[in-house]
Amino acid sequence: MTATDDTTVIPAVETETAAAAGDQTAADERPAEVGLHRDFRPSGAGWLARGIVWAFLAWVVLAFPVNAFSPFHVGVADIDVASLAAIYAIGGLSLNVLLGYCGQISFGHQAFVGLGAFVSAYIVTDLQLSFWLAVGAAAVFGGLQAVLLGAVSLRLTGLYFALVTLAYGTFAQETLFGITALTGGEGGKPAPRPEFFASGYRYYFLCLGFLVLVLWLDWRLTASKAGRAMAALRENPRVAASYGINVRGYILVAFAVSGIFAGIAGSLIAHHDEVIVGSSFDFRLALLFILMTVVGGLRNRVGVVIGSVFFALLEEGALVSMFRLGGFFEGTLGLPTEFVSLVVGPILLVLTLTLYPGGIGQQVAPLRGWLAGRKFDPHAGSGHDVEVSDVRA
Amino acid sequence: MTGPSLLDELGIALVTGILQGSVYALVALGIVLVYRASGAFNFAQTEFGTTGLFAAYAALVMWGWSYPAAIAFGLVVAIGMGLLTERLVVHPLRNASRVTVLVGTAGVALAAVGFQFWRFNETLIMTMPRIKDAFFVVPVVDAPVTVQQLITLGVLAVASVALALFFRSPSGLAIQAAQQEPTAAELVGISVRRVSMLTWAIAALLGGLAGILSGPYTTFTAGFLTFGAGRALLPGFMAAVLAGMRSMPGAVAGGLTVGVVEQLGTLSMMIEIPGARAMLLFGFLLVVLLVRPQGIFTGRTVTA
Repeated sequence: MTATDDTTVIPAVETETAAAAGDQTAADERPAEVGLHRDFRPSGAGWLARGIVWAFLAWVVLAFPVNAFSPFHVGVADIDVASLAAIYAIGGLSLNVLLGYCGQISFGHQAFVGLGAFVSAYIVTDLQLSFWLAVGAAAVFGGLQAVLLGAVSLRLTGLYFALVTLAYGTFAQETLFGITALTGGEGGKPAPRPEFFASGYRYYFLCLGFLVLVLWLDWRLTASKAGRAMAALRENPRVAASYGINVRGYILVAFAVSGIFAGIAGSLIAHHDEVIVGSSFDFRLALLFILMTVVGGLRNRVGVVIGSVFFALLEEGALVSMFRLGGFFEGTLGLPTEFVSLVVGPILLVLTLTLYPGGIGQQVAPLRGWLAGRKFDPHAGSGHDVEVSDVRA
Repeated sequence: MTGPSLLDELGIALVTGILQGSVYALVALGIVLVYRASGAFNFAQTEFGTTGLFAAYAALVMWGWSYPAAIAFGLVVAIGMGLLTERLVVHPLRNASRVTVLVGTAGVALAAVGFQFWRFNETLIMTMPRIKDAFFVVPVVDAPVTVQQLITLGVLAVASVALALFFRSPSGLAIQAAQQEPTAAELVGISVRRVSMLTWAIAALLGGLAGILSGPYTTFTAGFLTFGAGRALLPGFMAAVLAGMRSMPGAVAGGLTVGVVEQLGTLSMMIEIPGARAMLLFGFLLVVLLVRPQGIFTGRTVTA
């Protein structure tokens, strides 16, 4: 990482949390640590313990939502919440590309997602074309609008770009999503699911499949030259440019990737809800994505996914009912379940920014390293603040 | 009746725009003040207003206080929130990048919205009586104007003059010194910490005024000034951009300009376009940022 003369140790947005093991980038940046653990091999019991935890995780992700071997009863509504959690994880990863990798904040992500949703619904309902084509088109449109906004941002510094995205979000919400031909007006636009994936359980696995695809693309992005270029230009665009990195080009690449992910998420949301209305893509959704990414831990894939799932479950009230906290929130605090995420989320955000800059990704780093076959290191993922000076913002 | 002519409509848009713009100008003044002090874009500025408004509403409607007492209570709550923001978020993040501080203030705004939903979830849509519930018609252009809107414009004028005077007083000079050269200011005995608190308190006061005065225009919900019916966050920021993020008179001029530009969206030729006001604001912001990112109403106080 590059450091200039007025460096400061900076939490949150600039903190390198990818060190949470496993990542290609982390391995590049921490050769000493990798060397330290190279000779360690878990014993037979150690492998067994890790295998049990892996099996449990696989059960939670694959089998629990579909009621297999489950002591609990999971209803139809709950499987929809699980699908939504997977979709939100895609949205969180989309924002992570911009905010985490490039340091560009977007307050208009609801528009990115919403456009994908309406394009997808339009293609399936009005043009009677297949769902797969609709997802592809949503991804293309998402990427296109993001590149257009990104082209504007090249002329602006970081903070002004935040204003442009804020204005774009409002514009899309009121003007674009107000076009009746595209969005179906007040009654909403139907977006039927493909026949094979019509049931909630099958749709869940479809969303999971797309999440895996997005995770793989994201991993390839950070592992490639583009990912390293983005890390360099985030820390200091001028130094990056002096090393021959095409700063503008790579910012546009980041926007395109973020827009494509957002378009996919939008398309999945549309066919998840089956009828979509413009008002569901409001400013609160954009703020929710920011909560997911920052609390999850910027630049930390696993953290962002966990953060997104956490907020999706909290938003839908599933987490409250799962842990039987309804009585505590509604009775003791007088806080209705649908507002829990609005109250808890921002508090977590501020705590993350000021105390735990690595977010959830930092907190699960020890467990993650252990699962990957290393020793349990309680300090993994902490104390690796990168020195940066943000000259751009 | 063939409907009003374009010229009549423009006249109404001008008057309504200036009156609506005075709310934006109050917000923009707070934004500029904080930007000069902390170099941060304060996304919580309008939530100071909504929180103050909710406090005033609680005092006036739920507890039956008198109107002046309710306003005073609302302003005190807004200032308290501003000081808390400085203590809990801005100060701990003083060495962080500006984007981090931006996310932090957005978090404060969202926390405030959540708190409003929580405490006021029995009545989701609220109304508050006006200070004086009357209106009259401006003679030449036939624009209806409520007394409440005129009061807002008057408060803006008073606040602008008071700020101008304040920045010539010792405390105001200390603020300016600390903003321009913090280290040197410390050396001559100015507590930069206290100056920062003072700045945030004034900004929160301005935000509180904007909220308490504009709330009675219409019905309001949680997040009223940020993304609700009285959305003033984006227009306020645009006004601050027009002022080059630094000039206080520029913020006032910018606020009034943005108000008028936004009202052009209500002309009858725009009636076919959904969300014409949002579209105009977006286009206007793009043009300003691409053509003159250094601002228009920058005045002579601008320092690069």
